[in-house]
Amino acid sequence: MAKKILIVDDSPISRKMLKSCIPAECIKEIQEAGDGLAGLKVFKEFLPDITFLDLTMPVMDGVQALEEMKKLDPEAVIIVATADVQVKSIEKVMGLGAFHVLKKPPTKESVREILLKVGECRGTEHGI
Amino acid sequence: MESEICQVTDEEKDILQEIMNIAFGKAAADLAEAINIFVVLSVPNIQLLKGAELPDYLRDELRDFTDISIVEQNFRGKFRGSAFLVFPAGAGKELISLLDTGHEMVFESGSIDILEKETLLEVGNLLIGACVGKMAELLGDLVTYSPPKVVIENHPHEIIPNNLFNSEYTAIVMKTLFSFDERDVSGFLFLVTTHDSVVWLQNSLARFLQQYE
Repeated sequence: MAKKILIVDDSPISRKMLKSCIPAECIKEIQEAGDGLAGLKVFKEFLPDITFLDLTMPVMDGVQALEEMKKLDPEAVIIVATADVQVKSIEKVMGLGAFHVLKKPPTKESVREILLKVGECRGTEHGI
Repeated sequence: MESEICQVTDEEKDILQEIMNIAFGKAAADLAEAINIFVVLSVPNIQLLKGAELPDYLRDELRDFTDISIVEQNFRGKFRGSAFLVFPAGAGKELISLLDTGHEMVFESGSIDILEKETLLEVGNLLIGACVGKMAELLGDLVTYSPPKVVIENHPHEIIPNNLFNSEYTAIVMKTLFSFDERDVSGFLFLVTTHDSVVWLQNSLARFLQQYE
């Protein structure tokens, strides 16, 4: 079964790049947001199965958005998609409950690999 | 070489912004690993300027600094230009303790100035090299670098020459702001590409995006 996917990233190009890497069979519906606060609003209304979340964003950064999303739904599958690949950043978001960190730039392989991990955790294929 | 102003689309600026974001993230991770520091990142900004506008642009960007230290390094490849890593004056002293130079710290008789300069060179070389190198890699190029040089504690108006680039040529200016967590240090990295690079850069950006079509 395909899933509802939310992509939160301030860069339209980055969102486009990520979308193109998600296998079509995994997508039921995709929604996008351009900052953490807008992402949080969509998260509440859209109730995504999987959220891809950037960290460095205006208005509300990804760390704050992650905290708020996990408060709303502790079981939420949130994949942090970031260029900030410092060990401390990765440890921080994993500590806050991120499912995984996807290093930018995404590739079809790296996205598929993560979706497979979601699937393994949820007992389905491709995170679906 | 042509002297007309190049046009860069908003989409090209977006791709360049994302590529710089990725590249500076890599540079920050390399620095964090080397000297155990956490770098707070921001969203990069991309501007297209005429060479004649560049000195005023840089002076305006640095108007809040009374004194600055600049690490300057040129990069050469198809991707070609200059990198300026700008810190407020005294940042080198703040960063000295982070670098294990293997030397005994001696802060007398002017040696602090030498150590500060070496620290800035080390941090600058690493950040600029990793950032420019990653951008070049993502765009399918390989660059070489001039030795970095550091200019300490000059007023921005004095440090930026009026003839930085040919006044009629186009420069793409990429700026990112960063700060070091738990240290009272923040700075800017400016990358200024040469006019010759612009067309190559546009073609490379298109190729980069094709992977995601």
